[in-house]
Parts: sequence; C-alpha cells; structure tokens
Amino acid sequence: MTEIAARILVVDDEPQIRKFLRLGLEGHGYAVLEAASAEAALRAMVSGQPDLVVLDLGLPDREGIEVLRELREWSRIPVFILSVRNREGEKVRAFELGADDYVVKPFGMPELLARIRAALRRRIESDSPEPVYRVGGLQVDLARRLVRVDNAEVRLSPKQYRLLQVLVTHAGKVVTHRQLLEEVWGPAHRDDIQYLRVFVRKLRRRLEADPARPRYLLTELGVGYRLRAPDQL
Amino acid sequence: MLSDAALHIRSINSATPYLMSAALVAVVALAAHALTRLTALPHVSILFLAAVVASAAIWGFWPSLFAALLSIAATSFFFYSPIFSFRVADAQNVADLAVFVIVAAFTSRLAANAHARAIEARRQQQSIAQLLAFTERLAGSATDSELHGVILEHLAPHLGRPIWLLLPEEGRLAVAAALGDDSALPEPLRHAAERLMNAADAPVSGWRLELLATAQGRVGVLVAREPGAPADRQLAKALLGHAALAIERARLRREIADARLRAQGEALREALLNSVSHDLQTPLAAILGSASALESFAEGGDPKVRCELTAAIRDEAERLASYIENLLDLTRIRAGQIAPRLELVELADIVDAALRRKRKALEHHAVEVALPPDLPMLRLDLFLMEHALANVLDNAAKHTPAGSPVRIAARLEKGEVVLDVTDSGAGVPPQDLERIFEAFYRCPGGPERASGGAGLGLAICRAFVEANGGSVAALSAGPGRGTTLRMRLPLPEPSALAEAFSDD
Repeated sequence: MTEIAARILVVDDEPQIRKFLRLGLEGHGYAVLEAASAEAALRAMVSGQPDLVVLDLGLPDREGIEVLRELREWSRIPVFILSVRNREGEKVRAFELGADDYVVKPFGMPELLARIRAALRRRIESDSPEPVYRVGGLQVDLARRLVRVDNAEVRLSPKQYRLLQVLVTHAGKVVTHRQLLEEVWGPAHRDDIQYLRVFVRKLRRRLEADPARPRYLLTELGVGYRLRAPDQL
Repeated sequence: MLSDAALHIRSINSATPYLMSAALVAVVALAAHALTRLTALPHVSILFLAAVVASAAIWGFWPSLFAALLSIAATSFFFYSPIFSFRVADAQNVADLAVFVIVAAFTSRLAANAHARAIEARRQQQSIAQLLAFTERLAGSATDSELHGVILEHLAPHLGRPIWLLLPEEGRLAVAAALGDDSALPEPLRHAAERLMNAADAPVSGWRLELLATAQGRVGVLVAREPGAPADRQLAKALLGHAALAIERARLRREIADARLRAQGEALREALLNSVSHDLQTPLAAILGSASALESFAEGGDPKVRCELTAAIRDEAERLASYIENLLDLTRIRAGQIAPRLELVELADIVDAALRRKRKALEHHAVEVALPPDLPMLRLDLFLMEHALANVLDNAAKHTPAGSPVRIAARLEKGEVVLDVTDSGAGVPPQDLERIFEAFYRCPGGPERASGGAGLGLAICRAFVEANGGSVAALSAGPGRGTTLRMRLPLPEPSALAEAFSDD
C-alpha cells in the first residue's frame, strides 16, 4: 500500500515564510500548496483539496480570521493558525471559530511537524471514535460513563463528568473557556471564566497525581483547556 | 432682587419661635390656673420660669425674652390682685415679679448661650466630618481625573451646579473636569476665570468664581452657577484650601516623576545603544558566518561540521529572537503600555506555562516544584506573570551550572503569596542584589554571554510583577550559595473568592 502524500496549504503573504515552510514540509514528504492572500487561499481550498491549512492571521486583503470563518462554513479541514506573540484575544477568537492549533512565530520546524502529524492522525481516528478514551493512566469510558485513574475508579459529580466528556470529545485540541462554559453550564454562563477555573481545580484534584503540574488536563493560558492526546504525552 | 415670596417665607420662619413661645406661656397659664384652684400658690410667677427657660433652650434669647414679657403680663393680669388688671397692688407680688424678671433674664441668657453653643458644635462637627471625608478621598485618588472628580463632587453642594474646574494648561486656563453639565464652559466665564487667576477680581452675576490657591501660588479656578442661598462659607473655604493643596501635590508629584524619567531616559538610551550594537551584531555575525561556511562546502564537507554549523545558526537566531522580544517588552514598559488584565487565576497554571515555555532552557536542570495544593487563587494578569516567571527561570538556567537544581516554591504568608525561585549558582554579591533589576545590568562575575536578553530579563520581570500589585527582590546566602528570586503577590479581596460554583 503506498501512502499518498498529505497536501498542506500554506497561506502567508511573506514569501520567506512560505519558502521555509515549503522546503521544510516537502522535505518531510508533504505536498505543499501556497497562497499569498485570502482570495487565493479560498480558491486553493476548492481547487487544491488540501488535507490541512496553515493560515497566517495577517493577510493583505482580508484578516486571516475571516478566511477561517468562511472556511468553517463548509469545511472541517484542520486549520493551524500562525501569529505573533501578545495577541491572546486573537487566539481565543481563532479557537472559537474552529481553529485546530495555534503556532506563534518564531517557531521551529520540528514543533510544527509534530503537531501537523498529530492533527492528521486525529482526523483519521475521529472517523471511528473509540468508546474508551485512554491517555497515560487516565481512562474515560464514554459508553458506561466510567472514569479510571491508574485502574482505580474515580467518582465525579455530573457536572465534572460533563466537563471531562466535552474535553474528551475534543481530545488533543484546545477548547476555549467559552465553549466549555456553554456546553456544560449553558449560554447564560458563557463569561464566568473564574467559576470554570475553580471547577477545573476540583476536577484536577480527582484526576491528576500532582494537580500543580497537571499531566492530562492542561491549561492553555488565557484561552482554555486541552485534554492531552496520547501522542502528545 | 430677592423675591417677595422668599421674604414672606422668611418672616413666617422667624415668627414661628415667638408664636410657639406664646403658646408655651398660655399652656403654663392654664396649668397655673388649675393649680391655684386646688391649692394656694404664693409665687405663681415661678411656674412661668419653665416656659421662659424652655423657650430659651429651644429658640434662643429673643423668643425667651418675649416669653418673659408675656409671663409678666399673664401673672399680673390673671393671678395677682386685682385680677383682670395689669395693676399689681400687693407689695409682695411686686417683689415677686421683680425677682422673676431678674431670674428669667439670667436663665434665658444662659439657656440661650447653651442653645447657640450646641448649634455651633453640631455645625462644626458636620464641617469637620465633611472636611475629613474630603481629605480622605483626596488622598485616596489614584489619578488626576479621579482627584478632579472628588473635588467637584464635594464642592458642588457649597458652590453650586454645574461646576467646572479650570487648571492651567500650556499657558492658559482650560477645563480639567466638569460636573452637572456636559456642555462647554462659556468663553466669557473662562475669561473671567483667567482674570481671577491673574489676581484681578471679575465678578460675573449669577456665577461664582473661586480661586484655588496655596501658599506657593495660584493653582486653578472653580466656576459654578450660584445657588439660591449661600452655604457654609467657612467650610467652603476650608474645602477650597484642601482642594488647592491636593492639586498642587499631584502636580509636584508628576513633575518629580517626569524629571526622574528624563534622567533615566538619557542613561537608558546610552545603555540601549551599546546593547544593540553588541547583542544584535554578535548573533548576526555568527549566523552569517555559519551560513556562508555551509554554502562554501557545496556538496562536500564533514557531516558533523555541517550539523554544528546549522545548530549554531539556530541557537544564535533563537538568542536574537529572545533579545528582540525583550527589547519590545522594555519598549512597552517605557511607553507605559502595560495594562494588566487582572482576573482570578491559579498560580499553578502560571508556573506550568512558564515551565513549558522554558523547557528547552531548563533541559539540563532538575526542576523541583513545591506548590501547596490549597494555595488560594490570585488576582493577576496571566500573561504578565507568566512572562515575569519565565524570565526568572531563564535567568536561573543561565547562571547555574548544568545539572544543578532549580526550585520553585510557594507559600502563604501574612496576606500574601510568596513565590520563590531558587537556584544553586554563583549567587549575587550583596551590593548588587538591587542592581540586577536594572535594565542592561550584567553580573560582573557572570558568564560572558550569560543572558540572551542582555540583562533585560529581570528588569522586565520587576515591571510586570509590580504591574500586578506585587514586588520582587533577590536574596543570596553569599558567593557560591545560589540566589533566590522572591516574588510577593497580594491576596485578592475575600469577596472575590467567596463565589464558587456548585458541583451540580
């Protein structure tokens, strides 16, 4: 069986960034499409049929975030956002609009490659979700609503289980504060981030060996939480 | 012109004590009449003293004098023979009345004095309370606009509304704050204020203009629409005095800070120039050199050497990136663009994020984290604190030999959370413990290329921690015995923590 190279669309208006991404990705067996503007990106999405998009947020014709919004109306393709530091608000918006990951410039090729590999693998796996989620010593049996840590059953309150369940269904991906609040407590509580923090603290005490240095339930500072995927351990 | 209606109201108000005094005398007369029916009263006039004293205590001297006269008339008319005549025949009754007049005069004088003193005391107490509240709020004002707001709010009841505060700005008076009217101050009023500021009194009818002045000079003018009745003049004067002092103090504070900033600015520019020329050029030279060496090998060359050269390019580029990042942070701090977004957060999250960010720098160190599980949440800006901590960790990694441990520990102490980052490096000599927080400072004994941030990391750390209401200091047990960077972070108000989410 020959593996067909995954196609990656790189959207960035800086030629030197496109160049280094193309060299790096092609060197590791990916096929690379390039777009220097929002218009070109949307066209390439249709004509090139990529498997993953690396999207810079600062584009000359339109904000990258707008491209993401439009894209999400008809496609669930993994999207990686490229941005500069100190733009946390932008990060939150990108995740809320359905970005899969976020890479801050300057970044190294190995880091990007590892995340791309994980995202592509998750995409294949998510087509057949396992009823039992396993990462390290944590097991979440979604069918029987059972949670085990190092083979010992852990009792969770209904809300705690619901929170964990939402994270499991998005395992490996960042879920924003707002998404979690809406899914667990309803839209009326979408801005109660501090409550969520108190709640996560309680959940960590049940799941983590050292809640001060969590292994499973990770904080994405200022954005949300992420349940570690097995390939992220 | 004061309106007729106002005059009318005034006369009614001032007549009331007399009417009430007369009523009191009438009541006493009725009571005396009833008593004389039961038993013979030799000195009826004594009873009327009660009315006189009461009138004096309640309404003051003049109404009580009126009550005394009425009392004499009533006694002689109703009680002393011949009855129903103002004539008094009996010599003893005449003596009685004479004594009554003297005693009434004295007691009413005394009672009236006490009455006046009580009123004065109450007024003073209120004034002092108002003044105290005012000075307290002046002292508690963090910004100029807050200060101006407090001044207007406290003076409007005394001067009138709308009210404007005018302060000198670029050689002319300009409105610094307004209360009760969003519209602009009419230009003629501003001119009048300007004249007042230049010591020429210029009354404007219907408007009250008050100069704010201290012993050092004039600081500004308050303009208000004059209210109907003048309020407590003495209190208003005291309030004006305090307001002037507060404005003057704020101005001096600003000037001193500006002067200090200018002096620091000079020194900083020089240090910055030195740093840029060295810390930018060195890594660039290394990158260019390594890249051209790689190119010169073309196809050939030792693979090991090629690897080393590419690694050198990456390392130097990373150094450059971290240097530029620090320079950008420093620029933000200098421009006063650090606006912390405080929210309740877990210190553990911040520590974890900083450790993840500095994973590479710390890869040759054993990092030990000791955070008590019951540490309260803190009200902090996540990103500023994470950055501050990352800089401290970076510093620890760079100043300690590979393999030596770095310890992060937190504890609760007297209303603060104390976060220590301890390394086991060379330590810092006591005279340099403060200086390491200065921008561009480098430890003299430290490694040559110690910090990729060119001595900026700890300066940024301090600025960020202070922006979060905390403080940071360095401690060292002595040369060769390591350094502890101690951050003190304030606990949030208890009310912020009281809210918690129910589990169900």
